[in-house]
Amino acid sequence: MLPLSVKDDEYKPAKFNLLLKLSGWFRSILSDKTSRNLFFFLCLNLSFAFVELSYGIWSNSLGLISDSFHMFFDCTALLAGLAASVISRWRSNDSFSYGYVRAEVLAGFVNGLFLIFTAFFIFSEGVERALEPPDVHHDRLLPVSVAGLLVNLVGIFVFQHGGHGHSHGEEGHGHSHSLFNGSVNHGHSHGGHGPESKHGGHGHSHDGHEGHGHSHDGHEGHGHSHDGHEGHGHDEPHSHDELRTPGKGASKQILQGVLLHIIADTLGSVGVIISALLMQKYDLMIADPICSMLISLLIGVSVVPLLRESIGILMQRTPPSLDQALPECYQRVQQLQGVYNLQDPHFWTLCTDVYIGTIKLLVAPDADRRWILSQTHNVFTQAGVRQLYVQIDTAAM
Amino acid sequence: MEDKYSSNVLSGGKLGMVEVPNSRLTRYIVLLVVTKVLKALGIFESYDILKVVHIVQFIFILKLGSAVILLFFQKPFSSGKVISKRQWIKLLKHAVFSCVISLLGFFGLTLCGPLRTLLLFEHSDVVVVALLGVLFTSSGGGPSKTRGAALFIIAVICLLLFDNDDLMAKMAEHPEGHHDSALTHFLYTAIGFLGVADHKGGVVLLVASLLLKVGFHTASRKLSVEIGGSKRLYALDNLVSAIVLLPWVIVLSLTTDSKVESWSSLILPFGMIILSVTILEFYVEAICNTKMETPRCARYGAIALFLSALLLANFWTHPLTDQLRSMSKPPQQGSTEHVLSGGVIVSAIFFIMSSSILSSPSKKGQKGTLVGYSPEGTPLYNFMGDALQHTSQSLPRFIKDSLKQILEEYDSRQIFYFLCLNLAFTFVELFYGVWTNSLGLISDGFHMLFDCSALVLGLFAALMSRWKATRIFSYGYGRVEILSGFINGLFLMVIAFFVFVESVTRVLDPPNINTDMLTPVSVGGLLVNLVGICAFSHAHAHAHGGKTCPSNDHGHSHHGHSHSEHGHSHSEHGHSHGGHGHSHGGHGHSHGGTSGHGPPPGSGGGGMNANMRGVFLHVLADTLGSVGVIISTILIRQFGWLIADPICSLFIATLIFLSVIPLLKDACEVLLLRIPPEIEKELNSALEKVEKIEGVLSYRDSHFWRHSASIMAGTIHLQIMAGVVEQRIVQQVTAVLKDAGVNNLSVQVEKEAYFQHMSGLSTGFQEVLAMTQQMESMKYLNDGTCIM
Repeated sequence: MLPLSVKDDEYKPAKFNLLLKLSGWFRSILSDKTSRNLFFFLCLNLSFAFVELSYGIWSNSLGLISDSFHMFFDCTALLAGLAASVISRWRSNDSFSYGYVRAEVLAGFVNGLFLIFTAFFIFSEGVERALEPPDVHHDRLLPVSVAGLLVNLVGIFVFQHGGHGHSHGEEGHGHSHSLFNGSVNHGHSHGGHGPESKHGGHGHSHDGHEGHGHSHDGHEGHGHSHDGHEGHGHDEPHSHDELRTPGKGASKQILQGVLLHIIADTLGSVGVIISALLMQKYDLMIADPICSMLISLLIGVSVVPLLRESIGILMQRTPPSLDQALPECYQRVQQLQGVYNLQDPHFWTLCTDVYIGTIKLLVAPDADRRWILSQTHNVFTQAGVRQLYVQIDTAAM
Repeated sequence: MEDKYSSNVLSGGKLGMVEVPNSRLTRYIVLLVVTKVLKALGIFESYDILKVVHIVQFIFILKLGSAVILLFFQKPFSSGKVISKRQWIKLLKHAVFSCVISLLGFFGLTLCGPLRTLLLFEHSDVVVVALLGVLFTSSGGGPSKTRGAALFIIAVICLLLFDNDDLMAKMAEHPEGHHDSALTHFLYTAIGFLGVADHKGGVVLLVASLLLKVGFHTASRKLSVEIGGSKRLYALDNLVSAIVLLPWVIVLSLTTDSKVESWSSLILPFGMIILSVTILEFYVEAICNTKMETPRCARYGAIALFLSALLLANFWTHPLTDQLRSMSKPPQQGSTEHVLSGGVIVSAIFFIMSSSILSSPSKKGQKGTLVGYSPEGTPLYNFMGDALQHTSQSLPRFIKDSLKQILEEYDSRQIFYFLCLNLAFTFVELFYGVWTNSLGLISDGFHMLFDCSALVLGLFAALMSRWKATRIFSYGYGRVEILSGFINGLFLMVIAFFVFVESVTRVLDPPNINTDMLTPVSVGGLLVNLVGICAFSHAHAHAHGGKTCPSNDHGHSHHGHSHSEHGHSHSEHGHSHGGHGHSHGGHGHSHGGTSGHGPPPGSGGGGMNANMRGVFLHVLADTLGSVGVIISTILIRQFGWLIADPICSLFIATLIFLSVIPLLKDACEVLLLRIPPEIEKELNSALEKVEKIEGVLSYRDSHFWRHSASIMAGTIHLQIMAGVVEQRIVQQVTAVLKDAGVNNLSVQVEKEAYFQHMSGLSTGFQEVLAMTQQMESMKYLNDGTCIM
C-alpha cells in the first residue's frame, strides 16, 4: 500500500515574478504566427508613433503630436487583437469553463466598433469641413501621410501575404485532397472570388488541425478568407455541409478586425495623399472633406459584416452555417425509434467554427436510450456540431 | 403535377401577382426616366423664357408648335372617323378648359419657380385620385395610403410655411412692369386679397390647378373615346386651343410692346420645350402606361422628375451651366432666382415618398399566394406565415404599441422619460441657437443629439431584450442588454480617450475660450443630467448603498464653487441624490472602489443590468462634463487661469475612464461565458451534491454561463451506474442545480457502456468527418441515420 496524496494547491502562485510573466507572454506571442505578425506590426506602428511624437515635440508642431496620438489610438486595435490572440490560448479553468476562446470574437467586435466610431467621427468632421472648407496646410501633410501609408502597406502585406502566398502552395491541395474527395476543386477555384474562397479557407483550416503546427496553417486559411471578405461583404462564411475542425490558435475575427483596421488606415492615408495632391495642384479645397467622407463610408460598409457576425456569435445565435442543416437533423432525430419529441434546441457558436448544442428529447419509456443517444450524436456530429448535450426525458405515461 | 407543385413552392411568394420580368421593362423605365428629366429641363427653360415672353403668347406658341407636330404625326383629319358638329363643340369646351389649366399652371410657374412647380403640379392622376380617395371617402385603402396622404399634405405645408425664399419678399412689391395684362393683374389682386405672399399664392394656385387638371383628365376620358383615341384628341385639342388663343394674342401684341429683342434666338429653346414638355412626355407616358401598370409608371416617373428637378434647381443658376445653356440671355439680376431652401428639400423628399406610397397598388385583394390548382380545378392558395397578418401596419398603432411596451417596464420607462427630457432640452437649445444665430449653441445642440444616441441605444436594448426567443436566437435576446452596456462603455472609453488627448494638447497650448455663453447652457445641461442621474441611480443606489457618503468630503473639497449650483438642485431632489450629484468625483472613486472589491457586489444587486449601468455612466459622464465646464469657466473668469479648462477635462477623462472599467469587465466576463461569479460558490457546492447523488459516478464537461439577466444556462455530462433509472437522476440533478440558480439546464446521462462506445468513437473527430464526407459524396447517407 503506497500512500496516496492529492496536492491540489500545487499551483499556488507564491511569488509574483513580473519578469517571468513577461517573458512567458513574450514567448507565447512569438510561438504563434498570427500573434507574432501582430506583435511585429504593433512594434512598427508604435515606433512610428514615437518617432512622430518626439519629432513633434522637438519641432513643437501640434499637428504632429495630435497625429501621433491618433496613431496610438490606432495601436489599440492591434493591441486588442494581440491580447485576444494571447488570451484565447489560455487554458480553461474553473471559472471560464469554455476557456478564453471567445476573446477573439470579442476582439473582432471591439475592433469593428472602434472602426465604426472612427468612421463616424471622420464623417461628421468631413461634413463640417464640406460646409466651410478650412485652410489646410498641405506642406507638412504629405510626408507624414506617405510614411503612414508605407507603414500600413507593410501591415497589409504582412497579414495578407502570410495568408495568400502560402495557401496557394502545395500542401494545401495535398491535404484537402486526402481529406475530402470533392474539395480540391474548391481549393483551386477560390483565388479571390468571394463565394468560392470560403471553401479554400475551409480546406486549409482543416489542414491546420491535421498536419503540423496547426496555428500556422490555420492562419493561412483564415488569411484567405479575408480576401473574400474584403471584396464582397461576406454574408455567410461557411457553407453548411462542410465540416471543420477549429483552427484554435488563429482566429478569423481577430485577423479580420485588424486587417480591416489597417485597411481603413491605409485608405485614410491614400485619401489624405490624394486630397493633398489635388489641393496642391488644382487648389480644390473641397477635395479633402469629400475624400474623407467617402473613406468613412467605405470603412463603415466594410465593417458591417464583421460586426453582424460577431454580434450574432456573442448573442448565442444559431450559427448561420447550420441554419440549413438543423431542421433536417431535427427531422432525422425525431424519426428515430422511440423518440416522441424534440424540445429546447439551442445551438450556438463558441468561437470560429466551434458549434455547441443542447437538445432535450422526449422518448418512450421502453426506448433504447443508449442507441438514441449515440444516434443523435452521430446525426449532429455530421452537421458539424462539436459538443452536444442531449438530455433524454421519459414521457410520463 | 408534383413537379409543378414543387417548383411553385420553390419560387416563393412571387405568384400572387403576375409580373412581367424586370429586364424587359428596364427599357421602358429608362425611357420614362429620361423623358422626365427632359421635361424638368424644359420646365426650367420655360421659366427663363417666361421672364421675357408674355404668358399668353408663350402658351399660344407652345400649343401651336405642338399642334403642328402632332398634326404631322397623327393626321387627325385624314384618318379616323369624321367628327360631328356636337363633338366639335365638346372639343372647343375641352380646349378652353385645357387653356385655362395651362394658363394657371404656367402662371404658377412664374410665381414660384420651376422647382416648386414641378413638385406641386406634376403629380400623376393616380396619386391625386388616391389622395382624394383617402381624404374624402371613408375607405381610403388602409393605413399606408393614409400615411401617404399625410406625407403629401405635410409636403404642401412645408412648401407653404417653411420655405422662406428671399425672392418672394421682393416680388411682393408688385413690380408694375412685370405683368401688364388684365388677367395677370386680376390674378395678382386675387392672390393679394387672400393675404398670402405671391410665392405662397403660387403654391395655392398650383394645388388648385393640379386638382383641376386631374378632374379635367377624368372628364375628358369619355370624349377621347368618342373621338377615337387619346392621341387624336390631344392633337385636335392642341390645335383648337391655339385657335382659341389666337385673338387674344393678336390683341396683346397690338396693345403692348414686347420685351423680346429677337424672336429668332428664342426658336431653339421653344422647340426644345415643345418637344420635351408636351410631345415626348405625352407619347412616352402613353407607351409606358400600356407596357407597365399605371401606378408603377407613375412611381418611377415621379421619382425621376422630382430628383432631376432638385438637381437642376441646384445647378441651374450655377455659373458653369450658364455657359452651357443654349440661349444667350440678357444678364439678369441674380436675386430673382428662386433659391433652394431646406423646406423645399424636405418637401421634395416627402413628395417622393408620398407619391410612391400613394401610387403603390393596394394589396387588399391579395391574401395568399397561388400555389396551383387542385385536380378539380379550384385554385389553391398558400397562406404563408405572415401573409395573414402582413398588412402594412398603421403608424399610430405602431407608435402606441411600442410606447406601451416601453412604459411597461421600469428600466425602459426611466430611459424613455429621460430621453424625452434630453431631446426637449436639445431642441430648445437648437431652436434658440437658430433664433439667435449662434453657432456655438447649434453645435452644442448637435452634440447633445449625439449623446442621445446612447440613450436611444439603451432604450432599444431594453425593448429588444424582451423579445421572445426565436428559432435563430434560441436563448432569446436578453444578451442585447449586455451588449448595449458593453458598447456604451466602449463608447465612453473612446470619448474619454479623445478628451484626454485634446486636453493634453491644450495643456501645452491653452487656447483662449469665449466664456460668455457657456455658463447658462452648461448649467441647463447639468440640471437635465442631474435629473437623469436621480432617475437612474434608484436602481444603482441599491448596489452601492452608503458608499457615496464618505466621498462627499471629496466633492466639497474639490468643487468649492460649483457647490452653489448644486445647492439648487439639491434642495429640489432630496438628500441622497444630492449626494450623488454633488460629488461626481467622489462617485467615480467609489465606483472604482467597488470594482476593487470585485464584481459581485456591483453586479449582484440592483446593478445587474449592464444596459442601465451603461446608460447611467453615460449620463454621469455628461454631468461631469458640464460640471467641469462650469468650474473651469468660473476659474477662468475669476482668476484668469486658462489652464483650468484642460486640467478639468484631464481629470474628468480619467474619472470616466476609471468608472467605465468595472462595467466593461463585467460585460466581458459575461460575453466570455465565465461562470457567473455571484453563484460560483453555490455552483461548486451544488456540483459536490450532484456527485453524491446515489448512482452518479462522476460528471464532466460542466459548463455554466449567464446568458442574460434572467437566464442562466448550463450543460453537464453525467456518468451513472448501469442499473440506475436515468430519469430520476436527471430530475435530481436539475433540482439541485436549479437551487443554485441555473434555470436552463440540460443533462446528458451516460452509462458506462455508452461512454466507452462514445470515447472509442470520438477518438478522432476527424475520422468521423472524413467518413461522413466520403459517405455523403457517395450518396450513401440519404436513406438512414445509421453509419456505425
